[in-house]
Amino acid sequence: MIMNGHPEARARRDYILEQKRGFGRRVIGVFPAYYPRELLLSMNILPVEIWDPPLESSHANAHLQSYICSVVKQGLELILQGKCRDLDAFLFPHTCDSIQNLASIVNDYLGIEKPCYFFYHPKAPYKESSRWYYIKQLEDLALRLEKQFGPLNHHEFKKKVEQGEDLRRTIGELYRRRAEGTLGLSNVEFYRILRQVEYLHPDDFLPVLTAILKRPPDRKSKGLAVIVSGILPNPPEVLEHLDRLGINVADDDFLSCSRRLLARPAISTVPFEAMADSYFGMQPCCTKGSAIEDRLKSILDKAKSSSAKGVIFQMVKFCEPELFDVPILVEGLKAEGLATLVIDTELNQGMSGQLVTRLEAFAEMIG
Amino acid sequence: MSLARKLRYGFMKDVGAPLVMGLAGVKSRSKNIRKPDPLFGPPLKCAERLKEIMTRHYFLSRYAEGAKPVAWVTSGAPVELLRAFDFYTIYPENHGALCGAQKLGPELCAVAEEKGYHQDLCSYARIDLGVCFSGKTPVGRLPKPDLLFASNNICQTVMYWYRVLSHKWKIPLLVFDTPFNFGQISRSEINYMVMQFEEMIPVLERISGKRLDQKAFENVMRLGKESAMAWGEILAAMKTVPSPMTIFDAFVHLAPIVSLRGLPVTLDYYNILLSELKDRISKGIGAIINERKRLMWDNIAIWYKVRDFSRLFAEKGMNFVAATYTNAWAETISYMDETRPMESLAKAYSLVILNNNLDHRLNLMERLIDEYHVDGLVIHSARSCKPYSVGQYDLKRLLMERKGIPSVVIEADITDYRAYSEEQTRTRLEAFFEALEGGS
Amino acid sequence: MEFVVGIDVGSLSTDAVILGEEENILGYSIVGTGDSSTDAAREAMDSAAANAGVDMVRASLIISTGYGRAAVPGSGRQVTEIACHAAGAYHFFSDTELVIDIGGQDSKVIRVGKGGKVLDFAMNDKCAAGTGRFLEVMSAKLKIPLDQMGTFSLAARGEASISSVCTVFAESEVVSLVARNFPKEEIVKGLHRSVVNRVWAMTRQMSVKGGVTMTGGVAKNTGVVALMEERLGRKINVPAEPQIIGALGAALMALRHLKGAAAG
Ligand SMILES: Nc1ncnc2c1ncn2[C@@H]1O[C@H](COP(=O)(O)OP(=O)(O)OP(=O)(O)O)[C@@H](O)[C@H]1O
Ligand code: SF4
Ligand code: SF4
Ligand SMILES: [Mg+2]
Repeated sequence: MIMNGHPEARARRDYILEQKRGFGRRVIGVFPAYYPRELLLSMNILPVEIWDPPLESSHANAHLQSYICSVVKQGLELILQGKCRDLDAFLFPHTCDSIQNLASIVNDYLGIEKPCYFFYHPKAPYKESSRWYYIKQLEDLALRLEKQFGPLNHHEFKKKVEQGEDLRRTIGELYRRRAEGTLGLSNVEFYRILRQVEYLHPDDFLPVLTAILKRPPDRKSKGLAVIVSGILPNPPEVLEHLDRLGINVADDDFLSCSRRLLARPAISTVPFEAMADSYFGMQPCCTKGSAIEDRLKSILDKAKSSSAKGVIFQMVKFCEPELFDVPILVEGLKAEGLATLVIDTELNQGMSGQLVTRLEAFAEMIG
Repeated sequence: MSLARKLRYGFMKDVGAPLVMGLAGVKSRSKNIRKPDPLFGPPLKCAERLKEIMTRHYFLSRYAEGAKPVAWVTSGAPVELLRAFDFYTIYPENHGALCGAQKLGPELCAVAEEKGYHQDLCSYARIDLGVCFSGKTPVGRLPKPDLLFASNNICQTVMYWYRVLSHKWKIPLLVFDTPFNFGQISRSEINYMVMQFEEMIPVLERISGKRLDQKAFENVMRLGKESAMAWGEILAAMKTVPSPMTIFDAFVHLAPIVSLRGLPVTLDYYNILLSELKDRISKGIGAIINERKRLMWDNIAIWYKVRDFSRLFAEKGMNFVAATYTNAWAETISYMDETRPMESLAKAYSLVILNNNLDHRLNLMERLIDEYHVDGLVIHSARSCKPYSVGQYDLKRLLMERKGIPSVVIEADITDYRAYSEEQTRTRLEAFFEALEGGS
Repeated sequence: MEFVVGIDVGSLSTDAVILGEEENILGYSIVGTGDSSTDAAREAMDSAAANAGVDMVRASLIISTGYGRAAVPGSGRQVTEIACHAAGAYHFFSDTELVIDIGGQDSKVIRVGKGGKVLDFAMNDKCAAGTGRFLEVMSAKLKIPLDQMGTFSLAARGEASISSVCTVFAESEVVSLVARNFPKEEIVKGLHRSVVNRVWAMTRQMSVKGGVTMTGGVAKNTGVVALMEERLGRKINVPAEPQIIGALGAALMALRHLKGAAAG
């Protein structure tokens, strides 16, 4: 689906084609970040997420100003370069102002033939109305999708919601083992595996995780532990470099990872209700409007339970929701004796010498 | 609320403010006797009155703290509800614009930047945080709020920004969450918004110590609606050739509908302004002496450049007669209906331009081009404001295709002039002027 | 053990310091980095060795730092320049709590604890404003030699206001100031002010009460130092040769490393 030369991208494309041919699946390209996966899966739709396609931005600059983040730029670039042929539709969750307007550009201005779906999720602080509306939105999206993809089978839906619970539980276990230091995966390996969630069907992804968890626990690793926060683990070179420095990412607060992949177990067994349980049971997040104190507390808890020495904020340039939280988070973490490092990164652009210096100086400092 | 403070506020409102305003009035009146400007028509007479109203508003705000419940609100928040509880409201965005116009943007932004707030953040937010951290403001002092009230119908940014304020002062933040209108607004969306109002009432009652006064609420709704309609008529007056007012005037006269919406003073003021404009129209008086071309402005003003631009364009015989920004306050508030207050409030506030899809924006601009006889379009790409700016390049292209009108994009910012290049802008504008002159 | 070597391969200058057992500087050198870090490192070490009258092959340990630290032939260890500037500054001024290193492409603000240990640090973002490179571009534009920028700035009566944060925009502002016949002194002072404001903003994130030491090539610019003192409202320590502080720090670490190894 993405650059043909790029191995991960090729693997993705092959997988998508195989899923279409072998299982008759329909494919929706999904922009960040929160969306009802289980609902799509139960309609035999494979969601393929578009976070950071490895493309050179060229066409997108004719549509977007220089002060727009590269998640939005690269996503649009993918569409403009005609690399979305295999997709049956797009889904745009309402994540931030930039994605909101991107959705509208694609739907209203580009004259693209593919259907666009939108998903608005209620913003915090949550009240009773938030839950009511969230469920309404789910039902509404289901109705809209049915017009293109055929009726929702409630039995199938229930099964997929249960599988979703299973997946969250398993990923939770993976995180727990990593925080404990017995998982035996490097930083790079961990995220390479985890990020397959962005396109693998859970039927294929769950076994991958279970196999890893079945391996005998590794000897407790001795490296320094840190927490990494931000939108997503890109550029991957940052992880590579941390590996090289002997620093273990013991937990994360990435939007693309723990913030949306983990949640408290659902209470209800009624599918729509259960989905609401998990949505409201996720970690605090700036794009949902959570209070900054809540997010600070969540990061502090992670640091405590994994004995992390510091927190690295890996910022996507121009990302407003993250940038507003950072000063208070940094202040709060420092007050608790944790070291912090804020780094600006550009997606898929590797690491500058300056970034290397910052990471190393941070390692020297906490070491 | 202490009794002493209430009395002091009452005194200031009835005696202190008029006194001070009276002095200010005398001062500015004496200053006003100056030579007529060869580029512009006679200045609007009611501008003096506007100055009084706004000065009084900020002047009184010093005494509001402790006397009345104070709320800081976003420009798109349904303030009618707060008025029914007699909140004193402060509009940080309006204050930010004021700082911007006085060229204080970079200085106040820098205070926030020192605290770690990145230069890439909206400069209204940075100015406001700078004001909070340093206490500096050109209006003397802003009263500390008891409540923060934000609606994301203009941007998500305000939600992030007000969260910082809420953390700093440990005071409650009410968010009015308006689902973005990607296509058509649905019944369940309206219900969701109405439910939110109902959830807010007990909170507002607790903070203000008052019960919701249904009569006052209806009255505010009615006044708000009538002022918005009057504002709409004011803007419509600019359809006349030559236009009796410029958009740069409108940027200034917008202040009451933004900050004092739902108060009687706003309606009274707009009625005065409207009759003055009608008088000008009947006498054929234009805002600029030689109106040869009529332009439209997209996005918020470049506050530190309003004065320069108004001269620059007037020199060329070009007058701005329409703007999506000034139109925003006339567009949907007319949905308000005091007989179905909550529901109509939900509609009025969720259908505003920035909460609406880009197709809506394109259609609106096409309509404005026709109705206001627009010859060209100036697009301000505002670094601060993603919801207003993302999509402008396509908008430019589509309007050229559909309406054949030339346009120019100025890369700048609303208040932070460190992101503005005089030379770059001049080059672009010159090319635009050539296109305009060559075109028709 | 005879001597150790610290070498700092920066983006613009490559500096070497040769240190004797008693932390005494035997010799040093500053050369341009040019397009090859390895060549520059060799040249700097050779010239420092000649200056000290020692034979490089007898060096007990070489520690390299700076951008090109991985490209130094014979380097036994690599450390970041953050840690090195902290150690070097602390060596000369033991009251140091904050180090401001303004180099060619980076400016760094380092909070330093006991013994010169790094407690926290901040670096400029990618753009060149607020760095030595910015001043070099402007000195070329104004045709004022770099080492006279300070004198010009101190002689200024007034000051031009440079509002742009971006080098490209600032350059065009300078062009138009020159076109308007603005005194060069005042333009230079304005430029220095903009660098100082940038770097000063970084210091604000660290509350520091004790001594402040400036290092890196820009510390040689008396105009920048004066404005920084004014902004911070206190005297700033400036070492006699601020440009070699990174290399000195690296050499000090080499010495400590050897002593630690001998002890352990
Ligand atoms: N004699 C001088 N007078 C004034 N400024 C000077 C002088 N010599 C050097 N500089 C300034 O110092 C800068 C270079 O500093 P330095 O040698 O510390 O940089 P570097 O270590 O190579 O860069 P970095 O640390 O960013 O990699 C030049 O850009 C220049 O502005
Ligand atoms: S990186 Fe930030 S700004 Fe960009 S799409 Fe994601 S949340 Fe929005
Ligand atoms: S300028 Fe734009 S981003 Fe800033 S507060 Fe206003 S609408 Fe929001
Ligand atoms: Mg250096």
